Amino acid sequence: MKVQTTRFGTVEVDDSRILEFPSGLLGFSSYTQYALLQPDNDGLFFWLQSTEAAELAFVVTDPSTWVPEYQATVRKEQMEDLELTTLETAQTFVIVNKYDQTLTVNLQGPIIVNLTNHQAMQLVLADKRWTTRHEIVRLTTQERLTA
Amino acid sequence: MLVLSRHKDETIMIGDDIELTIVDIRGDKVRVGIKAPPSVPVHRKEVYDAILKENEGASTIDRSDLGEIPPPRIARL
Repeated sequence: MKVQTTRFGTVEVDDSRILEFPSGLLGFSSYTQYALLQPDNDGLFFWLQSTEAAELAFVVTDPSTWVPEYQATVRKEQMEDLELTTLETAQTFVIVNKYDQTLTVNLQGPIIVNLTNHQAMQLVLADKRWTTRHEIVRLTTQERLTA
Repeated sequence: MLVLSRHKDETIMIGDDIELTIVDIRGDKVRVGIKAPPSVPVHRKEVYDAILKENEGASTIDRSDLGEIPPPRIARL
């Protein structure tokens, strides 16, 4: 399908990359369909681009790349909502944010995707080990290098 | 907002299947027991709000924000 985006123009997305969020993301409940775009530079970061709002997009990443011990607890009823019978067919993503020159990930509100039917949801974890701003990368800018 | 007074061990019903019980009261802290169907998510509001705020911030991230990312080997240090 064709997806209009403010960041990348109009992109053609294979149906296999379309994710359905019946409840949306927290704060964005009216947007329920996203395309998972893979940037051309590397496989670490993906764009979760709304198919309904061109300007709405998030950067997501696989948390296991950054926090190997991370585990998102998926409750039984959440598995049922996603029609998941096992977590082996699920993929966890976390949303990336940027504060000054630091990239952080939201480990407390992970996104779980059922890879079989492409149903997805954002969880709210009670586990206090996982914060909403877990630091993953300190960016090195040109200015800093020359300073 | 509906405001109800409750003593310790008293309960409020919300609909047919949600029960809020005042388990303990100590100073300015109240312990509330919640009985709700598994389909009803129950969260501390500050956790919910924190995630909502992160989502809002993250939704404005731009391409250039990621352009400066160092290779993963360095990033994981």
